[in-house]
Amino acid sequence: MSAAALATRQTAALAWRSIITTLRLPQAWFPALFFPLVLMAIFTASFGGAPGNIPGFPPIRGFLDFAVCGAIVQGVLIAGTTAGAAFATDIEHGFFDRLVASPTSRVSILTGRLGASVALGVVQALLFLSIAAIFGARVEGGFWGVVVVVIIAAIFAAAVGGLGVYLAIRTGSGEAVQGMFPLFLALLFFSSAFFPLDTMTGWYHAVAAVNPISYLVESMRDEVLGGATIWTALTGIGIAAGLAAISITASAITLRRRLRVAS
Amino acid sequence: MRAFAVSMGLAGRNLLLVRRVPSVFIPSLVMPLFILVATAGAFHGIGALPEFAGASYLAFTIPMAATMGAGFAGINSGMTLARDLEGGFFDRLQSSPAPRIALIMGPLMAAMARSVFTTTIVFIAGMIGGVWLPGLASTLVIYGFCLLFAAATSCWAIGVALRARTVQAAPIMQLVVFLSVFMSVAYVPVDALHGWLGHVATYNPVTYILTASRSAELTGSIIWSQTWPGLVASAGLLLVLGAWALLPLTRLNDR
Amino acid sequence: MSDQAVETQDLVREYKGGVKAVDGVTLNVESGGIFGFLGPNGAGKSTMVRMLTTLLKPTSGTAIVAGYDVAKHPDKVRRRIGVALQDAAIDPYMTGRELLRLQGVLHGLPRAECRARAESLLERVDLVDAADRRVGTYSGGMRRRLDLALSLVHEPVVLFLDEPTTGLDPVSRVTLWEEVRRLNREHGTTVFLTTQYLEEADQLADRVAIIDGGRIVADGSPSELKAQIGFPMLSVVAADGSTPDDVSRVLATFGEIVPGAVDRGAAVRLPGGSKAMADAVRALDEAGVRFAEVDLTEPSLDDVFLASTGRHLGADDDVSE
Repeated sequence: MSAAALATRQTAALAWRSIITTLRLPQAWFPALFFPLVLMAIFTASFGGAPGNIPGFPPIRGFLDFAVCGAIVQGVLIAGTTAGAAFATDIEHGFFDRLVASPTSRVSILTGRLGASVALGVVQALLFLSIAAIFGARVEGGFWGVVVVVIIAAIFAAAVGGLGVYLAIRTGSGEAVQGMFPLFLALLFFSSAFFPLDTMTGWYHAVAAVNPISYLVESMRDEVLGGATIWTALTGIGIAAGLAAISITASAITLRRRLRVAS
Repeated sequence: MRAFAVSMGLAGRNLLLVRRVPSVFIPSLVMPLFILVATAGAFHGIGALPEFAGASYLAFTIPMAATMGAGFAGINSGMTLARDLEGGFFDRLQSSPAPRIALIMGPLMAAMARSVFTTTIVFIAGMIGGVWLPGLASTLVIYGFCLLFAAATSCWAIGVALRARTVQAAPIMQLVVFLSVFMSVAYVPVDALHGWLGHVATYNPVTYILTASRSAELTGSIIWSQTWPGLVASAGLLLVLGAWALLPLTRLNDR
Repeated sequence: MSDQAVETQDLVREYKGGVKAVDGVTLNVESGGIFGFLGPNGAGKSTMVRMLTTLLKPTSGTAIVAGYDVAKHPDKVRRRIGVALQDAAIDPYMTGRELLRLQGVLHGLPRAECRARAESLLERVDLVDAADRRVGTYSGGMRRRLDLALSLVHEPVVLFLDEPTTGLDPVSRVTLWEEVRRLNREHGTTVFLTTQYLEEADQLADRVAIIDGGRIVADGSPSELKAQIGFPMLSVVAADGSTPDDVSRVLATFGEIVPGAVDRGAAVRLPGGSKAMADAVRALDEAGVRFAEVDLTEPSLDDVFLASTGRHLGADDDVSE
């Protein structure tokens, strides 16, 4: 078997292991589904009167259509943090020692983790869109709209997964990785993920306007609300890919450094 | 009288711990601030709805953030108690002649003291954002509702701690308080709520607590018709949750 | 107050699932002494202490501590007892002085007295220098000393120490023993001490009860208990060519065989003492039994334990409490 084929097989095996361990632990997947969905429901019920009635909020079919993409991104963030924390716990329990002693390809450690994150991100995006659809939301972009939303969610999941791996190796403590979550939550809230940028004012608007998460969510939202173009889609994909490139590079470097120390 | 002295001693210890354990202290400080800033900042535009009658959305959010801060203060007491139960420190308290009621009054009073602190933080943040205090009487009313809510949530968390006897029960304590605040009129007035939340909020006591302290914040005066439902809701919560916390106290040495 | 510090009658504690951790214990501990409660891990020592200190309700039976029934008047009991539990549950974020003052408050002492007691106790257990350091920085021995001081804040008449020296180094252990002895001698405090160390019971206690499987299997002063065993024990290890049975057969004619005392040989209680030892060795020779080692030991508490349970103390650590 060629080296590339072997790495692919090991990546798949490690990704599968990550997915299985996530699914078997309710505390690993429950928060990533529960919190975004509950918040989406509460926001929809609270801000249902906003579209078309306040300055800066265009008239749209319903607030749920507006809220679903923010929920997907929030879910991906929570899942990524949990996965990062799980990886850190692995490290705490001597994961590296076992790995160094095995002939596993070093690349597949990282790609395995990322593969699992991407797979879970795709499932989350499809699940959230379906639930929103049940309650009356509609993806104006149709089939291709869904595809774009899922692709952006998947790449963003890889970015968050890479960040999780990076933090896990750097801190080596599951608790420390979990402790970073409020920071991610802040990043999400200080963006237009939950409410339109045009309704914000002052410094908050300034922060949200330079927050890449704003444009990531907005490009997904364009697919749901309508008015998406190839350019809006590419903006979202580009931002997600840029974030992923940064975090995966950083995690690859720390991983290599860590493995050199370990061996 | 002795129960009070012992409760004070235990409350003092509880406050000491909050100061000395950064992983407890920082969240209890940052959380209400974050809720205030993130809510008022992200949803600022919603304040233009006619249901707000021109009120500033920051001012509208201050009572909610203060109430959430008080809820966190209550949860913290439950978490400290759970840690004591798990680690064995509670055995020391239990084998002393301290009146049993003091074992929960101590953490409860600590929660109330902390809620004064978090409420003050929220008020200060509000002033930085340009919302001045609503006047002495109204400010005191908001403090009062926060004290009551801290007492109620600490009863809830203490009851969970006494039953579960492990810190792992902390997410349950938090989740219930979170949801009870958010599934009320946390973001908009009751008239602006849509669908299911409109019904849930009507039966949620926190709705009446928020409405009362919001009325004090926004009008700067105490409107009795807005205030008494909040008092009744607080009293009801305290009664039910007080019983929830007291019940396991009688069976402490059963297991 | 009666002259009994602890009186129990058929005390039983049954846990869920029907396990009886304490199974019908009747015990009298006189005031003024040091009582050693000896047993292996999981024998029921801690459960017993938790019941006597009002932390656990007895399933049945009665326990009277410092003159009051633990089930009916727990508060009166709590005022009269001091408790230092096994895992020295001390808040790592508080300082020694703060903890001592808090303990005073728990016992309802006035503020000034709390302070005064804290100072004198810190001095007594030699923690003055560490008084304002957080307990998290203390060594094991310092924690136990602080724990002891905490249990003395209200000058209790009965002091319960649950495995006070488990995990301590020998020097710290001896320091703590000294402190317990002094307390008993100078203040007349009755000490109820659980331990899994024979030496500790032997050194400290003037009365010992041995618990195994939730039941008292022996009770008396260390010397009484040893006298019950009576005679010194002769152990003989068989050499190549002879079996433990060969040894045992010969020794049986000199006294009562102690089962399980010697691995590859046999042991016997010698009523004739050291004189009979020479006879026994000669008899082994005459019978053609080959042996490697011969040893004569005075009875110890371990022998008492062995005689009561058929096992050595600490031989079964797999049962955890």
